[in-house]
Amino acid sequence: MATTEIRIGGLGGQGVILCGTIIGKASSIYDHRHSVMIQSFGPEARGSSCSAQVMLADRPIGYPYVRRPDILVSMSNDACHKFLPEMKPDGILLYEEELVHLSDDERPARAWGIPATRFAEELGRRMVMNIVMVGFFAGVTGLVSREAAEAAVKDSVPKGTEPLNLQAFAKGYDYGRQLVEKAG
Amino acid sequence: MEPVKLPMTCVLKDGTGVLVREMVRADEPAIFKFFKELPLEDRHHLRNDVTDPVRVHNFMIDDTHDRVMAVVGEIDGRIIASAEIDRNHYGSMTHIGQLRVIVARDFQHLGFGTILGKLLINAGISAGIEKVLAETSTEAKVTMLGLEKMGFKREATFKRHVTDLAGRKHDLAVFTYDVSHIWDKMEALVSDYSPIRDY
Repeated sequence: MATTEIRIGGLGGQGVILCGTIIGKASSIYDHRHSVMIQSFGPEARGSSCSAQVMLADRPIGYPYVRRPDILVSMSNDACHKFLPEMKPDGILLYEEELVHLSDDERPARAWGIPATRFAEELGRRMVMNIVMVGFFAGVTGLVSREAAEAAVKDSVPKGTEPLNLQAFAKGYDYGRQLVEKAG
Repeated sequence: MEPVKLPMTCVLKDGTGVLVREMVRADEPAIFKFFKELPLEDRHHLRNDVTDPVRVHNFMIDDTHDRVMAVVGEIDGRIIASAEIDRNHYGSMTHIGQLRVIVARDFQHLGFGTILGKLLINAGISAGIEKVLAETSTEAKVTMLGLEKMGFKREATFKRHVTDLAGRKHDLAVFTYDVSHIWDKMEALVSDYSPIRDY
């Protein structure tokens, strides 16, 4: 498998960087591949734009920056419109469908939406929406195995919060699998 | 902390194995029998007259609260304990979980209440509960000790708040277990602000 470039974008406070960390950790530590992650965030604690660049590969990665994402994970409308033009024409867009608004012209051929915030709220904690997105990423793309991603989630979140975070992961994963299977 | 996985078998201090599983509607006759067989002094502390089948039916279908989880302890088809954690559907206290545990007299003081309490606290945390509440008469020394061992702290005492069968007034102790710090760490983690994490 070639190198996969992933851009994750959203707002500070949505857990964008943790989302990228978990995907990279799942791939490198638990699926035994290679990954790098670069984060950028604004000076404000919350609400500023924030993004993570993640590279997944089967061999060591020499250049860590994402130039043309194969996959864009978007948790906010601004991030989506900012990073979508960079995405490869056949790239995959994964987006929070209740926060990101796309016209038919803007929507790439391979775009998958999920109401991640609503799912997280239904689970009892809005702050696990990023983990729902990790599950959705794993379910739709299959770039990290379910087992690896779950192990990375457990390893990355504070003690005591694992059960809810794993539920959030499962919610996103199952939803993603269902969409993919429905699309054939 | 692992997710709560039921059914599971617990071993009590005397070596007795007890099946713990989620309560289901079909348990209603067995639950009714369990409540009815409780000694009067135990039933006296419950919210409802559980010798009334209608009350027990209402308990089973409880729609006045958001029941996070309700479990029963079962040995050879006999229910020996009922426990639940619930919270308000709506409003300013949806983050508060109320814990209720009832164990049959012949299985008390074997650590089963603590097992059920811990299990339900974990379920509550999973559901986003930040603070767990438990109430008991100050006469119930063993129960209070068990709550403290689980991590509860006595937050308030309501003087002369409950009566016993003879009509004597006793104090009610309100215990709470604040688990919000768990979520504070998670909130810091998703802040996307600093790459330095100290958890």
